[in-house]
Parts: sequence; C-alpha cells; structure tokens
Amino acid sequence: MNLLEVTNLSKQYGHDLLALQNISFSVQNGEFVAVIGPSGAGKSTLLRCINRMIDPTDGEVVFDGVQMSKLKKNELRMQRRKIGMIFQHYNLVSRLTVIENVLHGRLGYKSTFAGIVSHYGKDEKKQAFEIIEMLGLTEQVYKRCDQLSGGQKQRVGIARALIQNPRMMLCDEPIASLDPSASKVIMDYLRNISTKLGITCLVNLHQVDVALNYADRIIGVNKGKIVYDGPPNLTPEEVYMIYGSAAGDLIFDVGGQHAS
Amino acid sequence: MNYLDSLEALRTQFPSYKSGVTLHNYSIKKVTKASIVMRITLLSLVILTVYGFYTFDYKDIRIIDAITQALTTFKTMFTQPRFNHFNFGQGVYQVAVTLGLTFLTTLIGAFIALFLGLFAAQNLSSTVVSNAIKSFVAVIRAIDTVLWVLIFAVAAGLGSVAAVIGMTFHTIGYLIKAYSESFEELDPGVIEALRGSGANWWQIVFQAVIPSSATSLLSWTFMRFEINYAVAVAMGAAAGAGGIGFELFMAGNHYYDLREVGLITYFILSVAIVLELVSIRLKLRLNTH
Ligand SMILES: Nc1ncnc2c1ncn2[C@@H]1O[C@H](COP(=O)(O)OP(=O)(O)O)[C@@H](O)[C@H]1O
Ligand SMILES: [Mg+2]
Repeated sequence: MNLLEVTNLSKQYGHDLLALQNISFSVQNGEFVAVIGPSGAGKSTLLRCINRMIDPTDGEVVFDGVQMSKLKKNELRMQRRKIGMIFQHYNLVSRLTVIENVLHGRLGYKSTFAGIVSHYGKDEKKQAFEIIEMLGLTEQVYKRCDQLSGGQKQRVGIARALIQNPRMMLCDEPIASLDPSASKVIMDYLRNISTKLGITCLVNLHQVDVALNYADRIIGVNKGKIVYDGPPNLTPEEVYMIYGSAAGDLIFDVGGQHAS
Repeated sequence: MNYLDSLEALRTQFPSYKSGVTLHNYSIKKVTKASIVMRITLLSLVILTVYGFYTFDYKDIRIIDAITQALTTFKTMFTQPRFNHFNFGQGVYQVAVTLGLTFLTTLIGAFIALFLGLFAAQNLSSTVVSNAIKSFVAVIRAIDTVLWVLIFAVAAGLGSVAAVIGMTFHTIGYLIKAYSESFEELDPGVIEALRGSGANWWQIVFQAVIPSSATSLLSWTFMRFEINYAVAVAMGAAAGAGGIGFELFMAGNHYYDLREVGLITYFILSVAIVLELVSIRLKLRLNTH
C-alpha cells in the first residue's frame, strides 16, 4: 500500500501566484524520494502541504490511510506525530541543550501540562539517549545547541524527528547550509534511516548530484508542476527540463553548493 | 542660516548629495533627507536654548551668586550627611518599605504582562487580539505612572493602595510591550518545527518561546524594577505611600534639614547600585548557563 498519496494538489498565494498546480504522486512505504527543482519551484510549499503546515488550496493528501484535509485540530496533531520534519536551518531552540531539544520530539505524545514542565517518562529518556548515541552525539548531550557545528545541529534535528517514531521524514533542503563533508554525513544518516529503519524519506534537494547518488526516485518540480517522476538516472536533457536555463550551472558545477 | 541656505551648503559640500551617497570622500554615513532634517532640528534646539537663557527674567537674582549658593547647599548636603529625625535602623526599615512596594508592583505586573504579552505577540496570537491588546496598552503607557497613581487615588484614596494599583497598571503596560516584542523576535522556524511534530500552543510557549527570550525578559523586568524603585521613592512623598521617599519629603520640605536629605540620598543611591550589581550578575549567569 502507498504510504502517501497526493492527488491534484494546488496551492495559490494571493490572486495569481500558483505555487503548486495539480500535483499528483504517491510514495511507497520505505521509499527514498528526492524532490529537485530550481529555487521558487514550490518544493518547500509541496512538503508543507503534506502535513498541513500550509493548507492547500485544492486537491487531496492521504497519509497512512487518512485524508489530511478532513482532520480537526487535535486529530491533525496526532497525525503530525507520524511525520518528522528536518529543516535547512535546523530550527532548534538554541538556548537549550541537545537532550532537551531531542525530547521536544515527544511533545505531541504528552499532555499539555507534562509538556510544559518537561515531564518525560523513563522509556522516553532511554530512547532519546539511544538515538543520540546512534547519531554520534553522546559527547554533546548536555551542550547547548548554539555551541554545536552545523552538522551536529542537523543531527540533533534528525534525532528530534526520529524520537517521534515517525512513518515518514519530510526534509527541506537538509544540507543546503552545510559543507560537503558534513553534507555527506547527514545524507548517509538519512539514507540509513530509510534503508535500516524503513522510514520513508521525502527530501527536497538543490543539488542534482546528491539527489542522483542517494535517492531511489526523483521528482522534478518546475514552476509548481511535476516535470519528471522516475528513477535516478536523468539525462542532461531531463535535467535541463527541470531546471530550465539555470541547468547549465548545475551540470557543470556538480558537487557545488546551491543553497536557496 | 535658513533651511535653503543649509541645503545649498550641503549640496556644495557633497556634490553627490542627490544620489544620497557621498562618493568622493568615502563617507560611511549616508546623507539622507532624514539626517539633514535631524541636523537642522538639533541646531535649532541649541539656538533656542541659548536664546532662552539670554532672555530669562532673572529679577534681582544675580546668576553667579545663585550658582555659588546652590553649590554650597549641595556641599552641605553631600559632605556632611547626618541622622537627625531617625536612626540607621529606621532608615533601613524605610528603604525596605520602598523596596517592598517596588517588588510587589514589578512582580504582579510581570506575571500579568507575561500572559498578556504572549497574546500580544504577532507570531503567537491572532492579528485581531494582538492589535487590540497592543493599542490598549499604548494608551496605558501614554499616561505617566504618577498620573495613574493619582487617578486610582480618586477611588482608593491617597496612600499605598493607590500607589500599588497605579504602579502595577503602568508596569503591565510597559512590560507587555517589551515582552511581546521579545517574543516576536523568536525564529519562526522553531515554532514551525515544534508545531510540525504535534506540539500544542502552550507546550511551544514554555518549551521554545520562553527559554529563547529568557534573557531579554529578565533584562526588561530589571529595567522596570529600577524604574519602579525610583517611582516608589517619589510615591512615598507624592502619594503618601510611605517608605524612604516619605522621609525624604519630610526632611526636605518639613524640617528643611539639608544634612538629612543628603543622607537619605546616599541611602537611596546605595540601594540602586546594589540592585544594578545584582541584575548584572543574574544576566551574566543566565547567559553563560
Ligand atoms: N507565504 C507565501 N506567500 C506568498 N508567496 C509565497 C509564500 N511562500 C512561498 N511563496 C511563493 O511560492 C513559490 C514557491 O516557493 P517555495 O515553495 O518556497 O519554493 P522552493 O522551496 O522550491 O524554493 C515562490 O514563488 C514563492 O515566492
Ligand atoms: Mg525552499
């Protein structure tokens, strides 16, 4: 069964800006999908329409058998726990420690009061430490997040998402602010999460070469439309189709950073 | 120099003035309309001040004598401080009363402002609620603390009750603005991350918003504490709220005891310095922790 089913999804900003137009695709359980496309193509909007951080204008998203648009406020919170999110700028509470940030991933499972007073169960703390160890952050557990490197921050972001016990990870340009070696570490972790833990990954990427290296499947987006959906062996013509006139840079500058 | 002349002068001095940037002398400052208006305003103020002093009606007071006498008074006040109508212990007690008034009004004000500040912050609340609170609070702030005390004195009578209510009221207005602006500085991505994981509003507030703005909140609260200390001293005299301010009023206006006025001033000042030191300490600790 498909874990995620997106049908005729559209998002309009204001009167005439169509950020997404009639997007349809489905993702199978455990798949690693890279969404690529130029800046402003609608990648971030697409990701956020899936867990309704942005409400789509039209169309339907079915995740884990549940129609997202039908959910009420509290049901939506329950559903969001099954989806982890990773961001370009990590989005950690920088004044808090690594362990405190990781445990934030459990807030959706807690009562309001338990969440406010940081009352976490023994098993939750145990799992937090296991995940932190898995991501090689044991030495940083009690460090404040503003003292970490970019790569370490992103690993904290991954840990915070993993402790939700998610079915799927939505990653919005997870390596766009990182240097090449930290980028590789992060992509390797994401790939392992998909292969070993069976968690589906939908990753927005700016770098074609990285997408081709890591993904099972590529979705190419341009001007709010899907222009490619298939295996990760794109011809230069197909890259050109996705990136338009900006493609020249990408093809000749493979391995460079293209943060938007 | 009139406005047009000064404009002309600027133009010859800075030929590229029209484009807004002075290129040839590599000035770092941009010469804009605003900065020209600013300079002209400052200049006019200086001229008016000098002109004002020159044309005062001094009657038969000779300014040199007056200044000497004032200095002598100050000298008596601050070089020969002395107890007269009360002793050290009573002085400490009166300072404690004033500090009590300060603590009470700042604490109640801060507590209420923390919650209303959350609803006044654009990023945590709806536009309607946020704007409603902000404009209401702007009105409260527009009227001075002392006036609020006098307004509440109509209902409560002059005294400590009116002082507490009035001071708290203005403190709330002041801190809601300060707090909500601190909250608004929070990175929207952090809120997005927690919302996306299923956390609810109160959890986000206590797990992300308040920890991120803690230093700023503390620093504003201390700022208000210092303001309230000064107001509490004044209220002791003006609203009969008691404390060291009332003693100052008695020593100055009733007994005309310069030495005691000096002593009380030292009392008030030393407490203010201690408060400042404590606040610096606390902020440092919070920043490095
Ligand atoms: N909140 C918003 N309001 C108006 N327009 C927006 C908003 N968010 C995104 N857009 C527009 O939607 C389009 C797609 O943006 P985005 O999804 O961020 O693209 P990408 O992530 O591929 O760079 C862009 O043209 C962008 O300017
Ligand atoms: Mg984007």
